[in-house]
Amino acid sequence: MAKSLLIISRQAPWSGPSAREALDIALAGGAFDLPLGMLFLDDGVFQLAAAQQPDAVQQKNLAANLQALPMFGVEELFACGHSLARRGLDNDALSLPVEVLDNAALTALIARFDQVVTL
Amino acid sequence: MTTLHVIAHSPFGDERLASCLRLLGPQDALLLCGDATYALQAGTEPFAALQAANLGERLFALAEDLQARALDSQLAKVVDYPAFVELTLHHDKVNSWL
Amino acid sequence: MKFAIAVFSPAHAPSSRRALRFAEAVLAGGHEIARLFFYQDGVHSASANIVAPQDELDVAAQWRAFVSDHRLDAVVCIAAALRRGVLDDTEANRYQRPAVNLPMPWELSGLGQLHEAAQLADRLVCFGGD
Repeated sequence: MAKSLLIISRQAPWSGPSAREALDIALAGGAFDLPLGMLFLDDGVFQLAAAQQPDAVQQKNLAANLQALPMFGVEELFACGHSLARRGLDNDALSLPVEVLDNAALTALIARFDQVVTL
Repeated sequence: MTTLHVIAHSPFGDERLASCLRLLGPQDALLLCGDATYALQAGTEPFAALQAANLGERLFALAEDLQARALDSQLAKVVDYPAFVELTLHHDKVNSWL
Repeated sequence: MKFAIAVFSPAHAPSSRRALRFAEAVLAGGHEIARLFFYQDGVHSASANIVAPQDELDVAAQWRAFVSDHRLDAVVCIAAALRRGVLDDTEANRYQRPAVNLPMPWELSGLGQLHEAAQLADRLVCFGGD
């Protein structure tokens, strides 16, 4: 059976290619039909803010690619509740349907996956 | 499944250590290397956070990085590279906070 | 045991050297390296155009020698490399760029190679940071 991989994305969306390159790992794995999950943690939750206009800083829209995750078979999407609250983001107004987890649930989530990459 | 968490960023002005301690499971271990070893500087906030986390035998630090920085290790067990390799095998997976 | 080792930092970052020392210890411990994978700024660790001052450690040269000496499977992510100007002969020609900085023993390929390595290996260990 294929090993499951949790990708933890903790970079803000417009601070360089890091957020996109984390997403690319997920999309590439999804194309191979691997069991994947993605967790948005720390500044990574800023990727989920609604109504962002990256064209103002001449960047491609990451949100459009994030929306594609379920189509690539990456259906397990999570966000850290603590990170969202600390950054003043409303759990109900996010651009992606993520499951918001508390600290204990995050510990269990990381334990459940075979491998983890945090970037 | 147990996780070996690895951090290599200074805990001063960086969120990795705090987030890692928040998510660390009861069987998980933490290895500090590079600038993350500055968390072992006694009398500092990161040091207090490590003490409060009470990791006991589950806190490790890379020997060369302590030596390079003139840090001693009251809290962490010191490992060299062969022991680092063994640590990765004693846990089910490795989560490096890149 | 089989290791997949992924490097996310350039040769001048302490974590690139740390990854190399770890990889050496993996082999010295009688284990196997299924693949080395260089991603994000890690693609710079594979660059052949780095000129280290004579009295400083040349980590890029050490990586090159390590990969060659042990005939390792060493993959540099093509998308990350193109974005950062790390090109092999084929890509330099394709995009008409003046310099090649990724000769043998590296292979430019896609992120699927990271996933394949992670599936093959008993442990995936990533290196980045200071």
